[in-house]
Amino acid sequence: MAEKTLIMESNDGKKIEVPIDVASRSILIKNMIDDLPEGAFEEAIPISNVSENVLTKVIEWCTHHRSDPPSSGDDDDTRRKTTDIDEWDQKFMQVDQEMLFEIILAANYLDIKPLLDIGCKTVANMIKGKSPEEIRKTFNIQNDFTPEEEDQIRRENEWAEDR
Amino acid sequence: MARSRQPARLSSEAPSESSSSTSPERAADDDTDFFTLQANDSQSSIGAGNARDSHIQTDPEIALPPIAYLPPEILISIFSKLNSPKDLLSCLLVCRIWAVNCVGLLWHRPSCNNWDNLKRITAAVGEENSFFLYSALIKRLNLSALTEDVSDGTVVPFAQCNRIERLTLTNCRKLTDNGVSDLIVGSRHLQALDVSELRALTDHTLFNVAENCNRLQGLNITGCTKVTDESLIAISQKCRLLKRLKLNGVTQVTDKAILSFAQNCPSILEIDLQECKLVTNQSVTALMATLQNLRELRLAHCEKINDSAFLELPRHISMSSLRILDLTACENIRDDAVERIVNAAPRLRNLVLAKCKYITARSVWTICKLGKNLHYVHLGHCSNITDDAVIQLVKSCNRIRYIDLACCSRLTDRSVQQLATLPKLRRIGLVKCQLITDASILALARPTQDRSVSFSSLERVHLSYCINLTMLGIHALLNSCPRLTHLSLTGVASFLREELTVFCREAPQEFTRQQREVFCVFSGEGVNLLRDHLNREAAPQRDMNEATMYDDEEELDEDEGQMTGLMHAAAINDDDYIDITPPHT
Repeated sequence: MAEKTLIMESNDGKKIEVPIDVASRSILIKNMIDDLPEGAFEEAIPISNVSENVLTKVIEWCTHHRSDPPSSGDDDDTRRKTTDIDEWDQKFMQVDQEMLFEIILAANYLDIKPLLDIGCKTVANMIKGKSPEEIRKTFNIQNDFTPEEEDQIRRENEWAEDR
Repeated sequence: MARSRQPARLSSEAPSESSSSTSPERAADDDTDFFTLQANDSQSSIGAGNARDSHIQTDPEIALPPIAYLPPEILISIFSKLNSPKDLLSCLLVCRIWAVNCVGLLWHRPSCNNWDNLKRITAAVGEENSFFLYSALIKRLNLSALTEDVSDGTVVPFAQCNRIERLTLTNCRKLTDNGVSDLIVGSRHLQALDVSELRALTDHTLFNVAENCNRLQGLNITGCTKVTDESLIAISQKCRLLKRLKLNGVTQVTDKAILSFAQNCPSILEIDLQECKLVTNQSVTALMATLQNLRELRLAHCEKINDSAFLELPRHISMSSLRILDLTACENIRDDAVERIVNAAPRLRNLVLAKCKYITARSVWTICKLGKNLHYVHLGHCSNITDDAVIQLVKSCNRIRYIDLACCSRLTDRSVQQLATLPKLRRIGLVKCQLITDASILALARPTQDRSVSFSSLERVHLSYCINLTMLGIHALLNSCPRLTHLSLTGVASFLREELTVFCREAPQEFTRQQREVFCVFSGEGVNLLRDHLNREAAPQRDMNEATMYDDEEELDEDEGQMTGLMHAAAINDDDYIDITPPHT
């Protein structure tokens, strides 16, 4: 028997057929499915905030993680809590910054908590141990503080250096 | 493209709100106005930069970097993955948008772990024209690391921090009503207050708590001996969300206050009345009968309590939430009470009956009904209990991890050999069980029956004044318990030898010379040093040691059927523990 699928449509008009259990990694989609009667998915679901290349990438993640146990609610699962990123996810996140942030935004929009979490951890790892100037370089951010302001903030938060 | 920047900054008044999501059990915020008002006073956006924010220039000509498209809540999620304040400080200095979104995380719980830090923090909080309104960002304040250094003057700058949710002042003994009240007044968000050992505090402080902190869930006033029923009754009436209450050594407390807590604070989960010596049966019955969620009840040294406290509980009552009951030195507790307790609270996990000297084997048989729920049991000084009772206890409750049988002077090797079969045993106390011999220790040294575990899980073993013990048992024990971190052998003649006591911990200051002479406790690295030493000594004579063990077995063989089986196992597994000794043996 063929797998049940639905169709997602990216904001640039591309239609992608996705197995329901894969699409259900997105709580947004899952809630839509739960709210509608069986077989009501003839029409494509517009994913208005996400472009095709990002959507493809997100679906790739959801496919790899399609049989992960539900992340929350179950007390027995708390011991699975880890701070690191698993190897497959690390590789998955080896993309340029634009794609990285697009994935994070898509995960946020589609409500895919574990993916959002991995995205945030990836960015956090890019920050760790760097000086403000190195961080600005990494993300191409402009320093909009005056030198006086920078001094003041540094002075008032000096305690955080210690430890 | 400027649009993505604009909303980010506008919602920058969120940081303190957003960071509060990391605070436990936050109720819906119903008084933002209160906070906004305060923020307006200082002419700044909330918790964020001041009017100078208007200096942000967004040049529409400049293309924004990809990261600029992340909304504030995602930036905050990213920053929340950074554990070190230093990384957060770096983020704070990157740019304005980053700053307003991470300053709340950095100041959520400023680390006041040394005096220099505290001074810097109070200076920033007290600074009139500070870049951020730091006082509104602090959610947790813990000064316990600074103890005696903290005075009423020290905490003055924190008086304006009215968003504190957890305030921990443990052991800051110099603080008085003045200093603590400065902190409390206006702290409407306070959820947990720990002022234990602030002996100068009086009802004045607690009246302020009752008046200001209606969301309080945890209160620890251990050792605040000046506090009376009067202020505690006010607390019970105003702080009705209380869940955890510790009144250790608040000696003036009587039934009046406790009954008021039972009546007014239905959410109480834990209550500790240690040394509240005026408390009587009435309080205990009321607490157990009315608090549906009660998980932990500590009544150590509440000497007025007797069996009636429990026998008068309503017949039908089922305290299925109760996990911990401590009746240390409630000397008038007898078997009838224990029976009623176990029937009413079938899911007890920790049961402390130390120094309930009248209880007998009958109590132990009742406790057996707790079965696998029982993890921790203290029966020290219950000198009436017998080997048969202990053996039955072990058979019924095989999840026991912690057991203390100090001064249960009737117990023999039979008890300990049965105890040795507990697969999860981590801590065993047998102080002054003077009948036990090396046979007990060898049994403990034998790997458990659980084949998946090849070594003992024992971590702490208390054998002081078990006068018959010798090197034989202890050496075996050391080699079979790699996790051992504490071994006490005070007053055991075989170990009071200079070459061994060098590995001992220092005797406590207050000990007399006689006490020092017999003191013998190995802990931490000392345990490893003792093990290494004994292994070095024993290496050339291993054959002889093994021969001795087999001899022992032979001897016991004739005595006691059950013991034979156990000792036999010990002898067979003898090689196992040799296998896991450190490589240099």
